Amino acid sequence: MNWKVVAHLIRVDMKSGRLIRGGRLARALERKLLTYVLYGGALVLGVAVGCLVGFFYSSVSTVDPQAKTLFDLGLASLSLSLPTLVLIYSLVFTMMQQIQRSGARFTIQAPYWLPITWNEHTLASMLANLLGFPLISIAFIGPALIAVSFFMGHVAFAVLTFSTILASAFMASAITEIFRTVQVRFIGAVYKSSGRAAVWVRFAGSLLFFIAFYVVYFTLTSGTGAIAFVQTIASAQSAVWFVPFFWLGMFLHSFINGMLWQTLAFLVLSLLLVLSLFYAAVSLNKRFGLYEPPSITVSRGVYAPRVGLLGRLGFSTTEAALIRKDVKAFTRRRELMYVFVLPIVIILFPLLQTMGVMGQESPSAVPPVFVLPLIFLMPSAILAVYLGSVMIGEEGEAMWRIYSAPISAESVVKSKYFFIILFSILVITATGIVGVVVFRPSLRATIIAFTESFLLMFALSAISLTIGIKGSDFRELPRPRMIRREWGLANLIACFVAALAILAPFVSYAFTVIAWAPTIDPYPATAVSAVISIVITFVAYRMALRNARELLAKAEM
Amino acid sequence: MAMGYSPAVVLKHVVKSFGKISAVDNVELEIKPSEIFGLLGPNGSGKSTVLKMLLGLVQPDAGLVEVFGVDVKRDPVAVKRQVGYVPESPRLYEFLTGLEYLDFIGDVFGMTAEEKRERISEYLKALELEGREGDMISGYSQGMKQKVALVSALLHKPKLLILDEPLNGLDPKSARIVKDLLHELKAQGVTTLMSTHVLEIAEAICDRIAIMYQGRILALGSMDELRQKASLPGSGLEDIFLKLTGAGDIKAVVEELLK
Repeated sequence: MNWKVVAHLIRVDMKSGRLIRGGRLARALERKLLTYVLYGGALVLGVAVGCLVGFFYSSVSTVDPQAKTLFDLGLASLSLSLPTLVLIYSLVFTMMQQIQRSGARFTIQAPYWLPITWNEHTLASMLANLLGFPLISIAFIGPALIAVSFFMGHVAFAVLTFSTILASAFMASAITEIFRTVQVRFIGAVYKSSGRAAVWVRFAGSLLFFIAFYVVYFTLTSGTGAIAFVQTIASAQSAVWFVPFFWLGMFLHSFINGMLWQTLAFLVLSLLLVLSLFYAAVSLNKRFGLYEPPSITVSRGVYAPRVGLLGRLGFSTTEAALIRKDVKAFTRRRELMYVFVLPIVIILFPLLQTMGVMGQESPSAVPPVFVLPLIFLMPSAILAVYLGSVMIGEEGEAMWRIYSAPISAESVVKSKYFFIILFSILVITATGIVGVVVFRPSLRATIIAFTESFLLMFALSAISLTIGIKGSDFRELPRPRMIRREWGLANLIACFVAALAILAPFVSYAFTVIAWAPTIDPYPATAVSAVISIVITFVAYRMALRNARELLAKAEM
Repeated sequence: MAMGYSPAVVLKHVVKSFGKISAVDNVELEIKPSEIFGLLGPNGSGKSTVLKMLLGLVQPDAGLVEVFGVDVKRDPVAVKRQVGYVPESPRLYEFLTGLEYLDFIGDVFGMTAEEKRERISEYLKALELEGREGDMISGYSQGMKQKVALVSALLHKPKLLILDEPLNGLDPKSARIVKDLLHELKAQGVTTLMSTHVLEIAEAICDRIAIMYQGRILALGSMDELRQKASLPGSGLEDIFLKLTGAGDIKAVVEELLK
């Protein structure tokens, strides 16, 4: 192992952050002093916090022996759970870093043509994965523990704890490295065997992954607290000592209880585990590190142009082609598929709460009058706001094709607007059916909820499309940006204000419901709301046309 | 003008600046119908800006740009209908298959289903893309992507072809096919305006060549006219180009590198 090569590779990896940060590179952030100041700061802060806690411990232990015992026990259980805790959060952060990098268009490739071994490459990659929060947190926790241990008289135990959390972080990074390599190979194999279905496999797979991620996230965050979590880990790891990922914790547990043979056994087992994970990562990198996923074959055979439904609906061939192209973009491009995740999560969240799945003791008593708007209005409105804002920017650097093709501004706006409406209607239908089946609202409530969701959809789509054209961002490095940040914010504000205006006629109706007063007829409010929505839609659509004309005439690429 | 032919492309006193950088400086140019015209020049000399202005993708600060008598600024859509364009590094819709991409282009240019079927299969066969047309473009090599971009420019039978480095990444056989194709299209009356750094290609296929430098046209004419202008009788385009653009003593640079 050439350690200099490893160090050089880590430095290169650190600079790959430029891809993620984007164009405006602050050179000051890359100066050595500033790079290491975070880690140094965490270390100094850790020592200071450790000393403060130590002083507190010394003063308390002289006057209150019971508090001293409690303190000793608390710190012991924290130390015992630390290897597992560090493993979990390092795993989360290193995986998040990998997800972020795979989102960037150009990821770091192993420099296989240079005299670098796979051991060096894998080690550098694993250590670089730990840079940032995992390493900063360790730089804080370790010195804090050692500092406080001087006051408590457990220096050896603190040093061992520090070593185990370093090993845990290393293990987490090795697992991420293994997962990344296997994932590339596995997904490639699935695409290859799926043939034309690969597109749908990718679509469904991405949706499932993110839905599962959000459900787990909400379940965890709405469940037990952090202290209970630490206590659970500290007490549970003895029961599941045979699980390799708890061996570091078991090593500390055996040490503190003076069990010499167990201490040695868990130490040897832990070292073997760390080494085997590292060599597993190396061998997988050796095998699949340069693996290129096969291209996805969507169709074979004779080309047969189709006369589509869109043509019969009155769209010109150009407009129909643009809509068809966008349908394919949103079902094939991973960064655009995420659009569908949010509406699904918005439905899942209240449903899971209502069913008492998310750590609640009893099903939610939230009245349907508040859940219904959430299910009917929110998903399609959010989809319209997001889709509209990215519909032009999603073209990316391939925008030259639209610029250089004989496409008028009217066609661009018409096709893009129709696309947003089409997808929003699908979402309204799906969420509406879920809402009706689960909450069984009255016919009147159902009619009004559906009508309002359509009114919101038409107006918000037009507004966000207008702003999306004006603020479009075609840069694709490090990832497709689609809309400039300031225009994205302007879009959110404009859509929020418009939604308030459209729903404003219902304020008096909602008040009567909350106050349990005699309810008033909501249909006149719906009519007023419709007028407001039509006016907003008309004005915003005209502005979208103007913006599109401007965009196509000033297409300075 | 002696015989009232109407030029395919006209640029009159065209000026374009990007901030303080003058990209195109008072350029005057006329390209005849069915001519293969080469636009040469070092990096940053303004070639790509001129090509983009012909499509209305970049608006000139001053001057007139006309394609087949249509003012590009006034009716860019009408101009685009008659033009096939391949940019220097064409980014394609990578989530489409080659076939879907060409189908999309055909629809955008208003081609009938029969025309699309016939021409797409013709071009796919000619450029040896058959068998991979159903794969997503993201899995194509650079050369294959270039071929798809070229086919998409030719599909609607344009009257003017604007090609920015058209042979980038093509294998020798495909490059030869494209060169022969350009000659064939010339015979059919198609005008081609191409920008390239490969001087052998320009010398071999262009009827006339313009050499641009720092936003201006330094020299314009056939190979013989350029030789005369550079006072280099019997020389190749490379020597003429280096002399006109003042590339300096290449030999000294090489010797310095070898030290």
